[in-house]
Amino acid sequence: MNTNSNAYTIVYTSIIVILSAAILAIASQALKPRQDANIKADTISQMMTAAQFKTEGLSNDAIISLYKGAIKESFIIDNKGGKVSDMDKASSEIFSTSKLKAQNSILKRGKADQMKLPVYVFNKDGKDITVIPVYGAGLWGPIWGYLALEPDMKTLAGAFFNHESETPGLGAKIKDDPSFRARFVGKSIDLKAKPAFEIIKGGAGNKSNAIDAITGATMTSRGVGDAIADWLDLYKPYLTKAEE
Amino acid sequence: MNAKLKETILNPLFSVNPITVLVLGICSSLAVTVELKGALVMALSVTIVTALSCLVLSLLRNSIPNRVRIIIQLVVVSMLVILVDQILKAYAYQIDTQLSVYIGLIITNCIVMGRIEAFALANKPIPSFLDGLFNGIGYGMILVILAIVRELFGSGTLLGMRIIPQAFYDAGYVNNGLVILPPMALILIGCIIWIQRGVQKELQED
Repeated sequence: MNTNSNAYTIVYTSIIVILSAAILAIASQALKPRQDANIKADTISQMMTAAQFKTEGLSNDAIISLYKGAIKESFIIDNKGGKVSDMDKASSEIFSTSKLKAQNSILKRGKADQMKLPVYVFNKDGKDITVIPVYGAGLWGPIWGYLALEPDMKTLAGAFFNHESETPGLGAKIKDDPSFRARFVGKSIDLKAKPAFEIIKGGAGNKSNAIDAITGATMTSRGVGDAIADWLDLYKPYLTKAEE
Repeated sequence: MNAKLKETILNPLFSVNPITVLVLGICSSLAVTVELKGALVMALSVTIVTALSCLVLSLLRNSIPNRVRIIIQLVVVSMLVILVDQILKAYAYQIDTQLSVYIGLIITNCIVMGRIEAFALANKPIPSFLDGLFNGIGYGMILVILAIVRELFGSGTLLGMRIIPQAFYDAGYVNNGLVILPPMALILIGCIIWIQRGVQKELQED
């Protein structure tokens, strides 16, 4: 058999590709439930880390039960601050990162009034901590995170950021370097200012609604700053109402 | 045959080690050796991918059209790498996110393609499998050595467990921050190469 003829090459390559695709499809189907459970627990641990809960090293089940014990309210609002619907507490329903992505593309199409925005209220040591998500673009791909607000709806109790493909050691520090998210603690958002919160290259000085950017990660820092500013804008009516 | 088999097994570990002698796969060995856990998972992943892709491609070696052989190799290697990534996502999610892009980059790890081109396409399946397996182990061995040194001196822990006692810190001992950074991994690899060439005189060049 002539293994160098065109017909042979095309048929052979097709068979190998189809076989590989089939194997991957089967594996993906079989592993999906476990992966989804991992992703859900990871998302919960991200928002709970923002609210200063300790989730490091916990198993999926432990994270879910910690969430069930601490969550007080979880609901969806629109960009006017009105409540649209409640999230199911019994099944610890959360707004997944892919849903956030979908909302962000609605925002990018300029249809902010059609957006669904999740709000989580945790009970942390007797205080109501409100956690809201932010979503935006980093240097290489999407970045997102959670801001945790003290009961006064101004002071930040904490924050957590995550990314899809920022540069390890530089932009990836928004997730990997605990000192970055520690910079948010105790700072406050100023809804009357524009932007309500800033990440400033070269140092935020004494400004209460700004933090320092990450050295060597200008674009990622800018992306985080823009994501926070854009999404705080969406939550502004709700936060102003809750403040009163 | 027996001597040849012994060579297939021992060469990748010492005198033709992929990292210290062939200097392949350096990028990932700098990136994933900050902690021993990540290094172990990476070593295991590379070993599995190299061994299985060598086995599969050795089985196919007589039927692969020569003009598209690199593409076929890539398809098989990528399939295995994605499979490993999917399994890690299901069973070791935290480690998978920690290793991030480096699992995907096994596809471009020179050790995998290098062993397929140099060995698997010209040899029978069993020796090819062993060659891939031990090249993976040779790579993993260096990774683990680097990770032990870096985690021990950089964080005072091994596999997350505290090794250097608190009393040392109370007496003024501090973790070495430099060891955590990638350049130190390169310096450590240099030291390993130095030691190895000191012992194995035949590796020294004029």
